[in-house]
Amino acid sequence: MADFHWGFFLELVVSGVLIGLMYSLIALGFVLIYKSTDAINFAQGEFVMIAGIIVGACMASYGLPLWLAIALSVGFMVVFNVGLERTVLRPMIGRPIVAIIMATIGLAALLRGAGPFFFGSGTRALNLPIDDAPIIIGDHFIYLNPIHLLGAVAAVLFLLGFGWFFLKSRKGVAMRAVADSHQVSMAMGINVQRYFALAWVMAGVVAALGGVIWGSLLGVDTQLAVIGLKVFPVVILGGLDSIVGVIVGGIIVGVVENLAAGYLDPMVGGGTKDFTPYVLMILMLMFKPYGLFGKPIIERI
Amino acid sequence: MRRLDKLLFGAGLALAAAGAATSAGAAEIVIGLQCDRTGPTQIVGTHLCPGYHDYVSLVNSRGGIEGHTIKTIEVDHEYKVPAGVEAYALHKKEGAVLISLYGTPHTQALTQKLTEDKIPGTSPGFGTAAAANGENFPYIFPIAASYWSQAAAGLEYARTQLGGDLKGKKIAYIYYDNPAGREPLPVLHKLRDELGFELTEFAVPPPGIEMSAQVLDITRRYRADFVLSHLFGRAPSVSMKEFKRAGYPLEKVLGFVWAASEADIAAAGGFDRVEGYSAMQFAGVGSDYPVLDEIRAMYEADGKDVPEVMASTVYYNRGVFVAAIHLKAIENAIKAKGSADITGEDVKNGFEQISGFTLGGLVPPLEITGFDHEGGGWVQVFQVKDAKFVPVTDWFQGYRGAVVELLKEDASRQ
Amino acid sequence: MFHRESGYYKTTYKGDMALYPLPVGRWSVALIGVLFLVIVPLFLDPYYLSILCLIAIAIVGALGLNILLGYTGQISIGHAAFMSVGAYTAANLITKLDWPFWLAVPSGGIMAAAIGVLVGIPSLRIKGLYLAIATLAAQFIIEWVINHTPAISGGVQASIEVPRPVVFGETLDREIELYYFLMAFAVIAIVATMNLVRSRVGRAFIAIRDQDIAAEIIGINVFRYKLYAFAISSFYAGVAGVLYTYYLSIANYEQFLIVVSIDYLAMVIIGGLGSVLGSVFGAIFVTLLPVVIRIFMDTFGAFFFDPVILAQVTAQFRLILFGALIMFFLVVEPEGLNRLWLNIRNYFRIWPFSY
Repeated sequence: MADFHWGFFLELVVSGVLIGLMYSLIALGFVLIYKSTDAINFAQGEFVMIAGIIVGACMASYGLPLWLAIALSVGFMVVFNVGLERTVLRPMIGRPIVAIIMATIGLAALLRGAGPFFFGSGTRALNLPIDDAPIIIGDHFIYLNPIHLLGAVAAVLFLLGFGWFFLKSRKGVAMRAVADSHQVSMAMGINVQRYFALAWVMAGVVAALGGVIWGSLLGVDTQLAVIGLKVFPVVILGGLDSIVGVIVGGIIVGVVENLAAGYLDPMVGGGTKDFTPYVLMILMLMFKPYGLFGKPIIERI
Repeated sequence: MRRLDKLLFGAGLALAAAGAATSAGAAEIVIGLQCDRTGPTQIVGTHLCPGYHDYVSLVNSRGGIEGHTIKTIEVDHEYKVPAGVEAYALHKKEGAVLISLYGTPHTQALTQKLTEDKIPGTSPGFGTAAAANGENFPYIFPIAASYWSQAAAGLEYARTQLGGDLKGKKIAYIYYDNPAGREPLPVLHKLRDELGFELTEFAVPPPGIEMSAQVLDITRRYRADFVLSHLFGRAPSVSMKEFKRAGYPLEKVLGFVWAASEADIAAAGGFDRVEGYSAMQFAGVGSDYPVLDEIRAMYEADGKDVPEVMASTVYYNRGVFVAAIHLKAIENAIKAKGSADITGEDVKNGFEQISGFTLGGLVPPLEITGFDHEGGGWVQVFQVKDAKFVPVTDWFQGYRGAVVELLKEDASRQ
Repeated sequence: MFHRESGYYKTTYKGDMALYPLPVGRWSVALIGVLFLVIVPLFLDPYYLSILCLIAIAIVGALGLNILLGYTGQISIGHAAFMSVGAYTAANLITKLDWPFWLAVPSGGIMAAAIGVLVGIPSLRIKGLYLAIATLAAQFIIEWVINHTPAISGGVQASIEVPRPVVFGETLDREIELYYFLMAFAVIAIVATMNLVRSRVGRAFIAIRDQDIAAEIIGINVFRYKLYAFAISSFYAGVAGVLYTYYLSIANYEQFLIVVSIDYLAMVIIGGLGSVLGSVFGAIFVTLLPVVIRIFMDTFGAFFFDPVILAQVTAQFRLILFGALIMFFLVVEPEGLNRLWLNIRNYFRIWPFSY
């Protein structure tokens, strides 16, 4: 480490934090569903993809303005997820977790086929009305990426919003009750099925937002779905059912990835960036399986 | 459950009937075409394969080759190797004399089978670079510049951009961290030692949707004079955006052949946002080629709209290029044999006679010989200028001697 | 239909323990054996044999996953990675040490089993989703290690060419020879699994699947049996990987990416969790699905779609159908094709006197 530059290090950390927050945004949809319905959604990346494709298709093929395209995409996600919850997830309540995982893997394949089937397989640009020149802080000390900044801010706002929702609002408290025990909440007069649907709707809205932000970074086509793989290290590190955990997990993953690429890559001569979060995750599973902020599960017969 | 059983039984019967109905065939020249239309590289397959079909239809609409029509059997293998193997077996059963492979692992998995069955397969722009040596791989035809030739040509282009001499210059090689991405390293290392430039490698692990750290490293710590970018999938468009945001001039970034298509430019935000980005191509780019006009005329004569995929000229033209080389090889085979009763071996010999066939500039001046199955390793650099791809060089080869030396070294090692 | 189950008495313990206690069972197994070992290879085109070869390999892999997922209830999304471990182990042994197939196949399996045990260790503490994600991580880590260790991967291309297997001095290079070679392993795997699941170990697996804490209380060492399950499952996967390497004569990690793991999960789910026959059905179904859809669309697709876009539509349609089928089976028929088969069989068992 003869040539250690503070500037370079700081830059890696800052960009890692911003990107990590954008990962959190994707992971949030996953956690929302798990927290409220105990279902595991392996198709979160595909949700993001389909939402992004719809925004891209509306703008490119029908010439709609951005806000209308986003509104349509959110609307579609809401309708789709309500339908999905009714037809697929509701009949599967009480089934082993493995079955639900597999069902969402099947859903992922279906969406990857259906997206291009209905909206065309071409790649589209999804440009947000912001400049892509870097924001330079200090005398060429740190370059900030405007879209990363926007994504991170949006992610923080959303995360704070949902944190407040779960802690303070009546509906949020009801959802936590539902997550805790379906039977007890039913006995207390909570309409459990409605809250299940609500959880999926919220996940759909978050996915639509993720689709816009990541779509503007990556362009929209089926490739956008690969972002879903980033979810797992984030949620395992943070804890599956914790909103704070999602933020912390995202930041850890983002920073670790960047530091690995900056300092580990030259040593091992290969790309360690996407690999280190998984190693970290395995260590976490071995020593603290429920994550930094997760709730341990106690099992009884 | 009874009703479900009956439903499935009925569906099974219908499918069995469908299977029986397809088994009739006509005497044509059959080509097997493998595509990825739904897998991770679908963006290539959805544009390349229509180009292939269109060129074959064009030739067939004019009476075929020497009066024989061509039949292509396409199989979408979703970039899965078992599906590719199954597709090959189907093509063999249907009597294909030539296989258009798609995908590096598929090419490797089928190399031995193709050689045993004496059916030539083409791997334009992917597969093993060493397969350009026709003496070692008699039935594999890269027909386009291999990754080794691309790397050499990329350095040649960098040399012209950096004032004619690479000595002491800092070259960054940013690559997709998979076998295909690492393939050019031997050429780069060999030429580094010969030409005396500085080379640093930056790996981007798949899927490569995020690479701010690598780009920061290249632009702010290493401060490269020139960047060779060998990326796939979504990574090229991300790299364009990152270089732009890091304030690095895109003119100094040269993509390999899978790093610049219309789709990549669209994903990066559109042509107006990546002005200056350039990449090597092994088939001509753009709509200004006579053969494309003929295809458009064919559609108009049928009263149909010109398909949208034609606008994606990088991959579409590659489909036309591959089909054109294939049909040329078949034409040579038929001429040599004097009849349409050709075998894979005849088509192999047909390939090895291809020379000076340029299709109005869409195809490089290939010289395929018994040794050189990539036909010389020609590339052309296209740059994004005024919101479109503009050729900034003619077809050229780079450091051909070094590449041939490596090919021979590799052959002697085996 | 053609037989009655009454009138056969099991007078010995041996008779009671037989895999096929009824003569009709033995006869139908013999009939299927003759069909696939004699008649099919004689009359089928090599193309259909190649599909059967792929099915045979898939059967071995699917059985392995079913032992873990269907019988023990432990999910693994890293099945393909264990296949790659087997494939590279065997490829290195074959090319560097010239090992024959009867050593290379089991050693590939054993190496995969060892790695499988390592991955299975967290299964003591975590289950369900956490285990799924741990095995997903194993998939990526194994891929990465193979990809970056030239000693394993054989250099930059990460692929090792392997000569054809030699059996009794005969090099197997024709499709029909490979068919017999692979079919032999599929049959061994099927018989071994049938016997495994009715052994002490198999029953312990089932107890753990149904309620692991209860299993522990009745005296089953849950940790040890979970590791057994991982080891056996990975052994099958490793063997499937070696067979694959022999069939394609190349080991390449890009043949064992995560999509392959998902295909195997689909086989087990669609075929039927916790059933040997179901694994076979699932392997056949998932391997044939693209072929059947292609034939169907080639024949009837032109009625619905413009030929210019037909190829594209066919491809997307296949993906949609694949996903829809997985969901359909999970929601409507969780026991998969095996349950459908049993329904049909039970219907005909008493036919025509069903009332």
